[in-house]
Amino acid sequence: MRIVAVDPDACVACRDCEYACAFRQSGDFARSASHIRVNFYADERACVPLTCMHCEDAWCLAVCPAAAIDRDPGTGAVTIDATRCAGCKMCLLACPYGNIHFNAETGVSAKCDLCGGDPMCVRACISGALRYVDAEELADLRREVVDASLKRLLRLSKGVR
Amino acid sequence: MQTGPEIRHSLCRMCDDRCGIDVHLEDGRIVDILGNKDHPWNRGRLCAKARAAVDMIYHPDRVLTPLKRTADGWEQIPLDQALDEIAGRLADVRDRYGARSIGVWKGEAIGFGQQETVARRFAHALGSPNYLSNDSMCYVGRYMGFTLVDGAWPIPDLENARCIVLWGANPPYAHPNMTQYITAARRKGATLVVVDPRMSAIARRADIHAQVRPGTDGALAWGLVRQFVEMDAYDKAFVEDHTIGFAKVVDYARTFTPEMVEAETGLPAATVKAMARMMADAAPRMAAYVGNGLEHHENGVGNIRAIAMIDGLLGALDHEGGTLFKEPAPLRDLTLYDEMPLRHLSPLGTDRFPVLYDMRQECHTMTAMEAILSDEPYPLRALVMTGANPASTNPNSPKVIEALRSLDLLVVRDLFMTETTAVADYVLPAASFLERTELHAHAKHQIVSLTDKVVSWPDVQGEYDFWHDLAVRLGIGEYFPWEDETALNRWLLEPTGLSLETLEAHREGVEYSPPRVGRRRQAGFDTPSGKVEFASAYLKDLGYDELPVYHRPAYRREPDAARPFVLMTGARKLLYLHSRFRNIPRFRTAIPGPEVEMHPDDAAALGVADGDTVRVTSPIGAVDLPVKVVAENEILPGNLQVTHGWREANVNLVTHDDRFDPVSGFPLMKSIEVSVQKV
Amino acid sequence: MHVVIVGNGAAALSALESFRGHDRDSRVTLVSGEQGPAYSRVLLPYYLRRRLSRDGLFIRRADDYARLGAATEFGVRAEGVDPARRVLELADGRRLGFDRLLIATGSSPMRPPIPGLDGPGVHTLWTLDDAVRLDSVFREGARLVVLGSGFVALQAAWAARQRGLQVSVIELLDQILPRVLDPAAAQILSERLHACDVEVRTGTRAESVETDRGGRVRVSTSGGDRLPADAVIVATGARPNDQLLPECLEPDRPGIPVADTMETVVSGVYAAGDVTRGPTARGGPREIHALWPTAVEQGRVAGANLAGAGRSYGGSLSMNVTEMFDLTVASLGQFVEDEGDDVFEEHDRGGIRYVKIVTRAGVPLGAIAMGAPEGAALLGRLRPFVRHRRALPDLPAFLAREDLDGRLAHRSAAKERTSCASLQ
Repeated sequence: MRIVAVDPDACVACRDCEYACAFRQSGDFARSASHIRVNFYADERACVPLTCMHCEDAWCLAVCPAAAIDRDPGTGAVTIDATRCAGCKMCLLACPYGNIHFNAETGVSAKCDLCGGDPMCVRACISGALRYVDAEELADLRREVVDASLKRLLRLSKGVR
Repeated sequence: MQTGPEIRHSLCRMCDDRCGIDVHLEDGRIVDILGNKDHPWNRGRLCAKARAAVDMIYHPDRVLTPLKRTADGWEQIPLDQALDEIAGRLADVRDRYGARSIGVWKGEAIGFGQQETVARRFAHALGSPNYLSNDSMCYVGRYMGFTLVDGAWPIPDLENARCIVLWGANPPYAHPNMTQYITAARRKGATLVVVDPRMSAIARRADIHAQVRPGTDGALAWGLVRQFVEMDAYDKAFVEDHTIGFAKVVDYARTFTPEMVEAETGLPAATVKAMARMMADAAPRMAAYVGNGLEHHENGVGNIRAIAMIDGLLGALDHEGGTLFKEPAPLRDLTLYDEMPLRHLSPLGTDRFPVLYDMRQECHTMTAMEAILSDEPYPLRALVMTGANPASTNPNSPKVIEALRSLDLLVVRDLFMTETTAVADYVLPAASFLERTELHAHAKHQIVSLTDKVVSWPDVQGEYDFWHDLAVRLGIGEYFPWEDETALNRWLLEPTGLSLETLEAHREGVEYSPPRVGRRRQAGFDTPSGKVEFASAYLKDLGYDELPVYHRPAYRREPDAARPFVLMTGARKLLYLHSRFRNIPRFRTAIPGPEVEMHPDDAAALGVADGDTVRVTSPIGAVDLPVKVVAENEILPGNLQVTHGWREANVNLVTHDDRFDPVSGFPLMKSIEVSVQKV
Repeated sequence: MHVVIVGNGAAALSALESFRGHDRDSRVTLVSGEQGPAYSRVLLPYYLRRRLSRDGLFIRRADDYARLGAATEFGVRAEGVDPARRVLELADGRRLGFDRLLIATGSSPMRPPIPGLDGPGVHTLWTLDDAVRLDSVFREGARLVVLGSGFVALQAAWAARQRGLQVSVIELLDQILPRVLDPAAAQILSERLHACDVEVRTGTRAESVETDRGGRVRVSTSGGDRLPADAVIVATGARPNDQLLPECLEPDRPGIPVADTMETVVSGVYAAGDVTRGPTARGGPREIHALWPTAVEQGRVAGANLAGAGRSYGGSLSMNVTEMFDLTVASLGQFVEDEGDDVFEEHDRGGIRYVKIVTRAGVPLGAIAMGAPEGAALLGRLRPFVRHRRALPDLPAFLAREDLDGRLAHRSAAKERTSCASLQ
């Protein structure tokens, strides 16, 4: 299956992804409606996009007492059936990454569903920090990021010399 | 009749980057806009502005019928009547004051495109040299700085660079998809330096964020030049073969020691050295890009020239991974400057800012306001503008409004009512970028493409139709012989050997010539000397500095104790473009209103917190703004930033229309001495 | 091989699915005393609150069992096990041979020793039948007394309040939700109950319940009051249904003790869910964690091991979350400090009214969050640290990183007000 790979080393916290997701969910640009959230920490100049990884062994899915969470057979996405969700929030407590959000207006949990296979966050990501890739490619992408960081570090250490 | 879902390929023009888009239609109505995955520039990715073009096009406040000001307010009139009356009144002004008393102004609100050359053609056909545009406050300063040195403004080869240096530029907000290219380079190990008084979005990713004081970039550039010389790290062969003025540069740079640069810019001397080392190590694969942040200063062009010199010193010019010279598309030229030169008619501002006209055939908009109000050097009595909103975006707004109000005739074509239409005599509906057909050239990829009318409204004209219809009524119809936009496009395209049909089949664009690197090194640079001009005889002859001598900003040279803060204006927000898009509700949800960005220390000293209102006062005027306290490292203490274009708090109430860069004539908008009081 | 699973709740279903992940061929029979496909006990209050329809309670379709290759014996109670012969004895006299057995029989509501609890006006909220019965009792204006103040008790009270009943809660101990909240959090919730016109009597014992001929009930309390009511709900806790195989019990201790393989002392017999006393994530003696997530976890391990996968359970970590009176109440692990523990507390962060995190030597042991739903997500992010005993040196920074959206908090607050107002 394909997932939204996140590269904090490329993210600039422009929030285009949040707007795109919020728009799909709600028709408006309120961050609170977005399933992907980008946290920006000024002190560290760190940008951290967080979105569901559709874990192979999804704890939220297993633990839902309403059996409202399932895996989409087409995309492999872990999805919440809003008509079944009772709003108990067990999934919020189950997700170790904070990637499930509660919609206070509808009273149900909400999360990324990969937009049915064409994630809008990726279409809106102008830095390229988000990529919709095969899960198997992930390791390669991580290596690429690490290699680049090393290269840059080398250049930086030379530069500071 | 029910027509199924349909996708039309086009280009977004919510800003000037022209990303490839797929316009989704249902029953002839646009329902969504997504990135075109085949377009070489954006590769399917698209910022939040682009998709919201749907909201703009179908906005309930769109102006869709011609409006005429009457004693009782706006009256809706038929298009033909509007054109007849406007032509009649223009003819009156021409007869009474001469053709040059009529000005034509190009804005950007309808989407960027060929409107510029049609408008220029119309002005000249009419006999007026007074073509005005917003370019003279954004873009032209940089074009000038680079062209004076390199003969053109070369394009950074970001994706192949080993070091990228951004000066006063924030691509994620200003050129969103440029960020992809920076990421691509960084993924190959490239380093990134961002020179900006603020921690912009892109500065979050910088290996070095060179947080210099506003307007001191020139000192840093000279400091780097000195380091390259000291380190013996410049490209001797390139300097020898392709540049003039190197000895003078070495001599002048001598005083710019890292310590002196630290004292002037606030950047630690060690960082200056590190930055120089990083750039030199990467050379010639060092790609620099200068943003609008450098332009709005009294020393803007000088600073930009100093930065431009670095490309030459490091041999990065016309080199892969450095900066590239693109060949312009061989389209026919619609302007009449060669056939019908009108410089003898004294285009407004040319006497004071000759380079502006020499290089861009632009008039100086601030001088135009003076001319309207004073009839000096000669009257300017009528303006016809499309998609421009100078009442918001020009400095010293009250004076602009006073001037526009006093015109005999102001015609504004726009999508919406604006601060400027508020003082117009006629408001005509303008066609948005999906409501007209036009040709585009994308220099980076050396491609031409064609965008088509996707939707239309009965009384809404495209640019060509409007100028054509007006020209016919004014007896200059012979200059507009083409039946419609398509006929014009066919004529423009002819020299390329490509057909409109080819472009229709390849909406992502067709290459007009393969990009070549090294052409300038072989054939010479497009400057008077054919060399890269560190020293400019042309400027010297005009009485300017031969070298890009560093002039300290006024607030550094003669600090004003009564105005201890330095105000920067005009930093782009992702969702807004100048004064545009504030009426798109979802944008307002995300970025609800204006604010003055302030360092926590300054907020503490003023006793203000987020949301409190302060009054910002300059010699020009005052504006009240809610405070936004940013993080310690996001802005320097003593500096403020306010984004322009808010109707409810217009920062151009305090910007200068009386202090300019001497070469470009750009107004002082980014290092303004102001005082701040809690309200 | 024939595997028999007794039970049809979280542990049983999780075990069945986990087993099939390892073994697609062996015979499986699932036995349950209740009828039909599984429903979710924890959702019964949501049904009473009219948040879910009756259909919405069912978490499996009838054909899901066949899809997983399990034969079902629904509506038949398992009476006992003959461990030597490896036979399960059913209430209808049938005997079901097995190679491996999983006891996932859950728990039942406790009946405290109060005279009169067998009267017709006294209810529990444990089964679907209970909930359906209560649904007809929940008439606007009726009076309800709830004995106990645990999750079930308070959710029942909230549902009743939303349906327009007058509600009194009687709790023996000095605070409500004694096993789920610390006193500070309990105080916040008590105030909320009070604001919603729920009468709360803590430190109060129900002495007796009398039902008159007309079906009217009176609850006599240790304070000497006699509370009239149309109905009483007893929700004073649960005890494991652990009598199927007494051989695997320890004397005088409830719950079937299991190893970290979820196997009981009887070889080939496993137990999971509310019925077990199992290992905990923090180590130490085995405990009964009668919680849905624990049942799911234990079921997974048991199911895998029924197939011989050799899995080992890392131990249960108690985690609770619910919404009561529009407050999200979440807790995790050990949230009441012991001597030597450090406590981090914060009030009114965004929409979160109260956060408390207990740590020892920088390692978070447990936490409580009350207020906005984001509190549950916050505890979710803390959970891996608690479970894997990972140090979290800078707790304030961790909290600060929870980039709470001010607008969302504002909206939750607004919702709180409106729903309370709608009760009046």
